Amino acid sequence: MGSQGPAASAARAEIRELINRKGHAVENARAAGERLELAFDEGALRHTPFLDQALGDLAVAIEQDEGQRLGGKSAEASRFILRAIDHSLDEA
Amino acid sequence: MKLFGGNRSTDEQKRRTPPGQYLTEKWPVLHYGSVPSTDLASWGFRVWGEVEQPFSFSWAELKAMPRKSVHTDIHCVTRWSRLDVDFEGVPIQHILERARLKPSAHFVLAHCEQGYTANLPLERLDDDDVLLCDTADGAPLTPDHGYPLRLLVPKRYLWKSAKWIRGLQFLSQDQLGFWERYGYNNDADPWKEERFSE
Repeated sequence: MGSQGPAASAARAEIRELINRKGHAVENARAAGERLELAFDEGALRHTPFLDQALGDLAVAIEQDEGQRLGGKSAEASRFILRAIDHSLDEA
Repeated sequence: MKLFGGNRSTDEQKRRTPPGQYLTEKWPVLHYGSVPSTDLASWGFRVWGEVEQPFSFSWAELKAMPRKSVHTDIHCVTRWSRLDVDFEGVPIQHILERARLKPSAHFVLAHCEQGYTANLPLERLDDDDVLLCDTADGAPLTPDHGYPLRLLVPKRYLWKSAKWIRGLQFLSQDQLGFWERYGYNNDADPWKEERFSE
């Protein structure tokens, strides 16, 4: 069972809003990933092995080395990972 | 000049094109994140897991291994297919023989730069057209196509042919790779259009 209480509910709602907002998937991924990490840091949500892995995968998927364009699959990877994060957020 | 229908596929091409795919003569570049840079002097490849003989090798050692050419068609989950591509590299059977798999080895996880992984059942890996591939159409792989080395598994969608591969881990139980964890199909057979898991 995931974290309970107003802070957990607020964090989940904000993360889901960032995941589902209109705009570029990579930008949404950056914002949602940062908000999820903040929720972990604040103790509003608990780490799970899956979410830790998803955050790590997301960081690589949207990583952009200097002078390089993002790969064509970065947006798709972001969408797939964000959907998986959304599905497992209640366990955090 | 034809404005329409100028690039119709022949019957032979149609027969070799899986459902839902279109043919291209180009080789589209599709990956996530950045293209890793590689220093061959420090490059290494590791084989471990359910094997009697774990081992590692350098780039120079890879280049001294037996080689094989494979003429085949490739199919990407993003719906392009390319026919008649010539690949070269080390036949996977050389790696399997040297590793001496334990009877418990039933699956393999390909480990690549940046933490990318792709998984396969052993019977799919142990096929006569599977290579550790360093050459395509007579030239070394380009960085965005996996230089210096990628796995080649032509009978599956191309995400299973993991670019920038650095190791093979043999497993007793299946472990999902990067795309498979997030909704791509675990089997990835282009002839069955196994693109996504749901």
